[in-house]
Amino acid sequence: MVLHANNLVKRFGGIVAVNNVSLKINGGEVVGLIGPNGSGKTTLINLVSGFYKPDGGRIVFEGIDITKKEPYERVKLGIARTFQIPRLISNMTALQNVAYAIVGSKRFREKKMTLEEALSEAIYYLDIVGLLRKRDVLVKDLPLYEQRLLELARALATNPRFIMVDEVMAGLNPVEADNVAKLVQRLREEFKLTILWVEHVLRIIMRSVERVLVMNEGKIIAEGLPHEVVKNPVVVKAYIGEEVVL
Amino acid sequence: MVIRVEARRGRLIIHVLNKWRFAWNVEPRYWRNPLIVAILWICLPLLILLMPRGLPIGPTTLLSALFLANVVSISAIAHAFQTIGTGRLNFGPNFFVVVGGYVAALLNKNYGLGPALTFLAAFGITALVGLALSPLTIISRGLYFTLITMILPFIMHELVYWRVDIFGAETGIPGITRLIAVESMMDYYIICFYISLAIALILLFIVDKIFRSRWGFMLGVINEDEDVAASFGIETKKIKVTIFTLTSGVMGISGWLIAHYYGSFAGTLWLDPWLLIFILLSSVIGGKSAIYGSVLGAYFVVLARDMLRPFIGGLALLGLYAVLLVTLYLLPEGLWGLYRKPRYREYVPRIYVRRKL
Repeated sequence: MVLHANNLVKRFGGIVAVNNVSLKINGGEVVGLIGPNGSGKTTLINLVSGFYKPDGGRIVFEGIDITKKEPYERVKLGIARTFQIPRLISNMTALQNVAYAIVGSKRFREKKMTLEEALSEAIYYLDIVGLLRKRDVLVKDLPLYEQRLLELARALATNPRFIMVDEVMAGLNPVEADNVAKLVQRLREEFKLTILWVEHVLRIIMRSVERVLVMNEGKIIAEGLPHEVVKNPVVVKAYIGEEVVL
Repeated sequence: MVIRVEARRGRLIIHVLNKWRFAWNVEPRYWRNPLIVAILWICLPLLILLMPRGLPIGPTTLLSALFLANVVSISAIAHAFQTIGTGRLNFGPNFFVVVGGYVAALLNKNYGLGPALTFLAAFGITALVGLALSPLTIISRGLYFTLITMILPFIMHELVYWRVDIFGAETGIPGITRLIAVESMMDYYIICFYISLAIALILLFIVDKIFRSRWGFMLGVINEDEDVAASFGIETKKIKVTIFTLTSGVMGISGWLIAHYYGSFAGTLWLDPWLLIFILLSSVIGGKSAIYGSVLGAYFVVLARDMLRPFIGGLALLGLYAVLLVTLYLLPEGLWGLYRKPRYREYVPRIYVRRKL
């Protein structure tokens, strides 16, 4: 098992954003996480990535208790993430944005790499996501679609085994969303990744994941195969509103 | 022809004996100038000595101003470096200057330590004070951090009056060994200028090297978005604590220079907001592009004050602030921005002055 979260709780004042959430993710799985806005999906990602410290519960990654570990330590263990709203360094080029993820990685220190070597390696990741030609463009000049790709490249550069992809299709048109979905699938196969994928675009995510978790009001209300989950009356009532034809 | 000068494609080409060729880019943004600027900086006292007599400002006043400009430069470089490396704006740099000054003054006066030993002590003890305060960079950010650091000079101010027996309040600590023993005051001013210049140049060199290394790259990311830095494996806490500690020590060196240059040290004078404003504005007026701008800014601020003094007397500070406000308004990129057009692909960590939402 790659990730095991047990009874995770996160409160913001009187609001319980994540309420006793437990989940298990096996190696090589692509797990979808869906739910209405404010259901606690991104908070869960923030808890696993170390952005937030849980008020209760435990997170174990590949047998190591990471509940109290800092975000940078979790990255070095092999956990990476993307952000719902791209958080890139806008004054840096695409290449530099991938390079700092390499500079912060475990192998940078172990292999005694130089900054130039990190920049060279960053080219490889940019090429994988199709941004090689944009390597010298400042991030603030990139459209949203390319910023999303760049986020994926940056996450890959940390050499992860587990990636949390947070609404990577938000704001993209159907063609771009399709391309991103295909890319995520390809990355999973090429890099042997385990993926937790938060998404609202149901028609695409239902085709792309093996298992779906549904969150509502901080709790996991349903779990199962995509075609089962979309027919679950609790899920239909809380989130979908009508059945999805896959 | 022995020497032939040719202007071609924006370059000035000098042919010597048709054998050697030296090309120089005319457009300033392509100049590789650190060496030229360092040479000009080193030659400044000579230029002052060559000045005609009878000007409203005498050479000793100017040399003294240049020394103070170097002192402010050292603090401003350290402050800019700290701002970039911690992603936080410290509003109490003069606190660390005064700590360094008192360490030098007290150790010299009470224990007879010479300037060389007090230099190490001023750096070391101020760095330790910085280390003790460095958790502030972890527990606070933004306005909260700024306000906490702003209180530090006021605390020191009260301490100085509370323990008059140690710190001497307004009188300060007199009788400190001078930086160097020479008979002529002119020689003293010039040598002190070069000592302070050497420190500033070494500091510039080190900070520049750091900025161009992987450390500079990591500092840049922390400055831009600390959470992102941590999410991509950068040990933000360790870096912030280290930077805060070391830069505090460097600010202490400014205090050491002041104490040994004037031969007495009254902390109340340097805890006054003018020094704080000089250090902060040096970074902003000089330009957001980090350290070189800080030096430019420090020289601009200190020399503008001293140049205005013969003309408007007691209103010099008021005039200076007016000039600074106009400069801030007209040059959002600072004086450095006039010279250096951003190179698109080159990333240099810099301080952000957010004027618009």
